[in-house]
Parts: sequence; C-alpha cells; structure tokens
Amino acid sequence: MGPDGAPGPAVPWRKVLWECQPFPDNYVDQRFLEELRRNEGIRQYRYWAVVKEAGFVAQQLSCVAVFITLWLYMEQGLLSPEMLLGTSLVSALLGYGLHQVLTSQVETCTEPRTHLADLQSATIFLSFTFGFSPVLKTLTESVSTDTVYAMSAVMLLAHLVSFPYAKPSPPGSLSLNAALFASVCLASRLPGALHTFAMLSCALLVFALWPCLLQRLRDNAPNQFTAVCVGVCVGGVGGLGSQSPGGAVLLALALGSVTLLCPLLLVRLQRHKDNIQGPWDEAEIHEDLSHFLH
Amino acid sequence: MVLKIFFPQCCNRADSGLLVGRWISGHDSAVVLAVIHYPFIPGQVKQYVQKMQAQSGVELSVLGSWSLPKEGQEGMESFLRDLSTIFPQERWLQIRRQMGKTGFTCEILKQGPNGRIAERKEKKKQEEADGGDGEEEDEEKVIFVHYEQRKVMLSQLHPIQSGDRDPKTDPPSELRQMFQTVARSQPLFFLDRYDDGPLKSTHWQSEGREASIIVELLKQASVPLCMLIGWLLSIWTWVCNIRIFSLYPLRFLSSKLSTCVQLSYRTEHMRTISSLKPATDHTQFMRKANILVSFLVDVALGVLLMSWLYRDNHITMLANTLVPVADHVSKELEELLQWLMGAPAGLKMNRALDQVLGRFFLYHIHLWISYIHLMSPFIEGILWYGGLSACFGLTFALSLLSDMVALLTFHIYCFYVYGARLYCLKIYGLSSLWRLFRGKKWNVLRQRVDSCSYDLDQLFIGTLLFTILLFLLPTTALYYLVFTLLRLVVVLFQGVLHLSVDFINSFPLFAVALRVCRSYRLAEGVKFRVLCDEPGSALHLMMEINPLKGSAAVQTYRTPTYSCYPKDSWGALVKKLFVGELIYPWRHKTTKTD
Repeated sequence: MGPDGAPGPAVPWRKVLWECQPFPDNYVDQRFLEELRRNEGIRQYRYWAVVKEAGFVAQQLSCVAVFITLWLYMEQGLLSPEMLLGTSLVSALLGYGLHQVLTSQVETCTEPRTHLADLQSATIFLSFTFGFSPVLKTLTESVSTDTVYAMSAVMLLAHLVSFPYAKPSPPGSLSLNAALFASVCLASRLPGALHTFAMLSCALLVFALWPCLLQRLRDNAPNQFTAVCVGVCVGGVGGLGSQSPGGAVLLALALGSVTLLCPLLLVRLQRHKDNIQGPWDEAEIHEDLSHFLH
Repeated sequence: MVLKIFFPQCCNRADSGLLVGRWISGHDSAVVLAVIHYPFIPGQVKQYVQKMQAQSGVELSVLGSWSLPKEGQEGMESFLRDLSTIFPQERWLQIRRQMGKTGFTCEILKQGPNGRIAERKEKKKQEEADGGDGEEEDEEKVIFVHYEQRKVMLSQLHPIQSGDRDPKTDPPSELRQMFQTVARSQPLFFLDRYDDGPLKSTHWQSEGREASIIVELLKQASVPLCMLIGWLLSIWTWVCNIRIFSLYPLRFLSSKLSTCVQLSYRTEHMRTISSLKPATDHTQFMRKANILVSFLVDVALGVLLMSWLYRDNHITMLANTLVPVADHVSKELEELLQWLMGAPAGLKMNRALDQVLGRFFLYHIHLWISYIHLMSPFIEGILWYGGLSACFGLTFALSLLSDMVALLTFHIYCFYVYGARLYCLKIYGLSSLWRLFRGKKWNVLRQRVDSCSYDLDQLFIGTLLFTILLFLLPTTALYYLVFTLLRLVVVLFQGVLHLSVDFINSFPLFAVALRVCRSYRLAEGVKFRVLCDEPGSALHLMMEINPLKGSAAVQTYRTPTYSCYPKDSWGALVKKLFVGELIYPWRHKTTKTD
C-alpha cells in the first residue's frame, strides 16, 4: 500500500510507531520526502580565493625543492659547509627578528616565551646535532645509494602529504619527523661530518622554523604572505633549473597544476555535488568540547 | 535389599563356631574376620572380643554362627542357634555349609521392635543344579563375597584418603571401610593355634605367625643406625648454621650452585629416614621406603662411577684434555667474532659499531683464556677431589659437573647478558621513538597509546635518535643472536644434567618395584569373579584386587623435589627472545614439605 492506495480511514496517519494505527508499518502518505534537504551547507568557492590558499601548498613543495637543490650543491662540492652554516645563521637571526616584530601584543601576553628559552632551545639543537654528526655520517655507509634515494623520496612525500596546512605553527609530528629522517638519510651521503652538520641545520631551518614564520605572516600580513609564497616558488624553480632543467620543468608543471588547475577542478565540480540530508541522519554534536578539556 | 557378607577364603573349611567381624556402618554389609571354634565359654569370647576392640580400634562384634558339621557333631546347630540369645545383636547370621557341597546357606534372625521375628530364608547353591526351582519370597538377598585375607590386609586402596576426615564430607565407601577394617584388625590375627589360651580361632595366620629373620634383624639394626645418622645430621646442621655462612654473598652463591642445593635436599631426605618414630600411615611409609631405595641406588651408581674414574689414570686423561678443549673453544669464538666484524652473510653492518663490539668481546675472550691457563696446574687436583664426591651419590657428581660447566662457560653468559641488554635497550628505545615519530605516546596510567603534542626540541632530538637506532639495529641484532644461540646451547646441556639429577631424586623406585612384585599391595579397586550364580539362590563372588596402574603409582609416590621444568611455553620464550629479555628457562621449584 502506498500513497496511491485506497483512501484510509478518517483518522489521519501520524509518523509514530508507538501507536497502533490502522495502517501497515511501511505506510507513507503524500508528505513523503518533504524533509529532504539537498546540498545543505555546501560552500560556494570563489576561484581566486582558492588559488590563494593553494599557493601555500605550492610554497611547501618549492621549499622541498630548495632543500634538495642545496643538497645537490653540497654534494657536488659547489657549496662549502661553512658558507651554508653562515647563511643559515644569518637567515635564522633575520627570521627571528621578523617573527618578533610580527607578534602582536595580545599573543605575547597569553603565551610568554622568553628569549632565554629560545636561546636554550637553539643551543640544544646545535650542540646535539654537532655531537652526533660523526655518528650520523656513518649511518648509511653500507646502504646502497638507490635505497637511500628511495627512502628519502618516500619520506619527503609523506612530509608533504601530512603537513598541517591549516595551522602549521605547532609542527605536525609525522611531517616534521619524516622530513628530518629524509634529511638525515641525505646528509649522511655527504663527504664530511661538517657537511652533515650544516645540512641538518639547514633542514631544521627549512622544515621546522620556516613554517612558524609563515604562520605569523599569514595571520598578520596576508598580502605579504602571498608575495612570499610566489617568491619561494620562483626561487625553487630557478634553483632546480640551475642543476637540472628537466627537474625544473617538472616542478613548474606541478606547481601550475596545484595552484591553477586543481582549484579550477574544485570549483567546476561543485555543481555535481548531490548530498542529501534528512531526519534519518545520525545526530551530530555541534558543541565545542574544548572547554571540557581545561 | 541386599546383604553383603565379606567372607575370608581361609575360613571356608573352618570348624564350627562363632563368626567375629564388623558390621559396616551405613551400608548393608558385614566383614567376617575370624571364626572362634567350639568349645568356648561365651563369657571369655565376650572378653576377648572387647580386648581386641580396645587394641585395634575396630568395632568388633560377634556376627553370628558358622556350622560345618563333622561326624559326631549333631545337635551343634541347635546349640549355635541358641547362642543368639547370649550375644544380643540386631541381626544374627547363621551360615551353614555341608561337607561335600560347595554352597552356603544363610539364615538371618532379626530382632525387630516386637521381639524376635525370625525370617527363614533358605538359599541353596549347587554347582550342577539346573536352576533353582524353589519359590522364595526374596525380600532380602545375601551375597557372599570371598576375599583373600592376607592380601587385603596388606593392600592399600588408592586414591589415599588422609586419616582424619572432615565429618561434613561423604563417609568413606563400603570398599574402603572393608579394607580399613581388615588392615586395622592385625591384633586379631596374632592368636595362632600354638597359643595356649582358652580360645581357638581360624584366620589367615592361624597356622602359625609368619616372620622373616632378615626383616627382624634389619629392624633391630635400624634403631642404632638411625640414631647414628641423626647425630651426624645434627652436627652437620650445626656447621651449616654457623653465622659466617649466613652472610649475603655466600648465601646467594649457595642458592645458585646446584651442588649446595642437592646437598640440602639430601639432608632433608636423611632427616626423614632417620627419624626414630615408625611410619604412622601408608604414605609416610612409602615415602621413607622410596627415599631409602633411591638413595641406595644413587650411592651404588656413584660408586660405580668412582670405580671407573680412579682406574687407569682416567683423571689425568680428563685433565689433560680439558685445557686443549678450552683453547679450541676460545679459538673458535675468536674466529666467529672476526667473521662478525667483517660482512657476515652479506648483511649491512655499521662498521664503527661493529669494530667496537668485536674488540670488546675479543678482549674478554683473551682474559678468559689467560684465566684458564692460570688454573691449568690445579685442574687435576680439583678433578681428583671432585670425583670423591661421587661416593655420596651419582647426583652429587652430576651437580658438580653442572656447576663446573657453569663456571667454565661464565664468559658466554657475560657476553649473552651484554648483548641482550644492549638489544633490549635498543628495542625499547625504538618502539618508544616510533610512537614519537607518529605523534603518539604511551599512557602509563591507562596502559594504552594516546596522541600527544610534542615540543619542537623533543621532536627534533627524538627523530635523530630514532634514525640512529634504526640504522644500528642490524649490527646489534646480529651480535645478540649469536650470543643467545651459544647461551642456549649451554643452558640445554645444564638442563639435561638437572633433569637427570631430578629424575634420580624423585623417581619412586620402591613403589614401582612393589607394583611389579607384590602388585596386590597397591590397589586401585577390586574386580569380582562369579563363583556360582543361579537364579533364585545366593550369589558367591570372588573379590580380586585390581592393582594400580604403573603410571598412577609413579604419579602418586613421586618424592617432591625441586622439579626442574621449563618456566615458559614456547610462545612466551620466543617472545622474550625477540624483545631481548634475559632468559632463565629452567625454573627450580622450592621443595614443599607436606
């Protein structure tokens, strides 16, 4: 029996199951599917806004490319470790200064982190890395080159995939660890212990400290953030191009597709979305539970 | 209702008289123990029965009358029937047998509440009869169960129940009560036909008491021997309890050396044997006998070993082969380490760590070889005096051998511990850092893995350490594997020695010999054989003792010692090996005194 059946008795049908009604259990009347909602809560994307956000992903890809370029230079002996160390130190200081400038007043009060604590962290990093670099250097001696390259590639891919693009400031464990693992593998292939130390410091800078600065930039100076992203992308392509043109072409293609093609697809395919919601869905809790945790 | 009468075979041809025995409480049965012959004075019979009851602790009573009329003894029956008035009982049995016939007839006189009610039941039993054709009202049947009195007296029913039982548990079964009755009625069987007393009785010993001269001599000799052993033991215990031996290092050492452990167990055993009180029940007797026999066998084997060892300069030969064997072993170990320090089996070892570990172990081997060479002049003397310990028993010689093997392979044990600790540390570090790699942490309170947000420096240092540990894993794992295998070989050998010592200590040789030679003494149950069964007449069954199975005898009478058995199952052992925990695969149970 459906809505086209014989007219029912005078008592109207109610959508309850605890009453004994003269209708069968699977009876529905003409108000069937009235409460169906289509594509509720769908977001309207605007192309250029998505492109701007996708720039961050492209930026991270270029960061990795820059790191690989530096490593290629060190391996071929075109870049001396002392120069790399010096440059890293200078950039770190500059970045630190910029970070302090960009920090607003409100944030310093809620989370005071003194300069002394930062200095302590930096000392720990440097001393530890310096102390362990002879050990790190001999780690992959007996492993074949292909294995090392394969491991590093997989790890860098994992880093890119698991990077917390939404909030990069406390760095995600898996992404940072994967990047550091890859950098240790690559760094142990270099000819000397000082090379290893320099490479690792550079990796720390690029993968651990640079995202923190970017987060500040994105929060406080969005226009400059976009400019920085573009700059990094160009630098990545250019640097890779100086070592291998094929790589540069590939990188440019990848950047282009991530920045321009994927947002286009996202916006275009939105109109094919067909979600239905209704009273048959599971209940969702929309409260913010974070105030229970403190 | 069926009345069972347990009738001893020796009384089948006894002269007429009174039946002495016991009614088994709770069941409808009676055990006949002896027949007291005519002529007798009833008062003296009563006195005798009371005296026997006091001596043996069994509730003896006069059950009824037995008549096997010979020529010139007519009128016996009526006399015996009238006796029922003298000995007041609830039930009075009158068992009759005709010469030439194999059957018994039984009448039961019951004393009911209204005076005497005589129920006459006649049951004839004939071997060649063609079926009973008499019509009887069978309200009470009688079954005669014939038993061999001597065997039942000596036998012990298994599973053994301890003497004082909780009144709340079930009362013992009928069979058990019957066995206990016969076993405890020994004073009844001392009256033989050479006695000049007023009464004559028939039982299994009535032809004359049996005794063996050797057993009597041994019993006489054992008293001063026990006193001597007890005195020696007290001196030994005093020596052991001197305070200097209670210092911690000596005590720890003596608990680890198997010779000292064996010595303490033998002291316990000696103490059990040399106690002056005779064994109170069957279990104690068997325990003492087993300990004595295994001790004697042990000493015999030890003396055999000594006679081989001290002949033909065997000791010098052994001593001369020991040092070259040790040299050979150390050379093999050095070669093994050199191989490990290269590229063993094509595995990728970290060269620096490899060299460090390899040199460390090589230095240890060098130390050990110097120690052996230092000791080499004394080895012959040590072996000579050590061989003397075999006079205490083969177990001592084996324990000494096990201890010497442990001392000589101490360096392997050290290597194993180093390798295992290093490996274990590495595995724990790796698992913890792997959790850090994924951003998780072990919650000790909840015993589970939770997510955790780490600081930057924690992440950084954690990843570096993880990388280092991961790449150094093959090297450490290989050293661990090699030394674990060596250690397991030594442990296996020691385990075999300990197992054989334990076997000699605990195997109940006396019980097994008893089971083989006198199998009726250890009874598991009984089986019945029908002597004659005719419809409508009494049943005569022959009760034969079912001896205990050999495996059950060994199980029941094993002397509890430090049984040496593997502590872990195979799965747990493999897991421990994988994680790097130290293995002590043989566990020694401390002895339990019951």
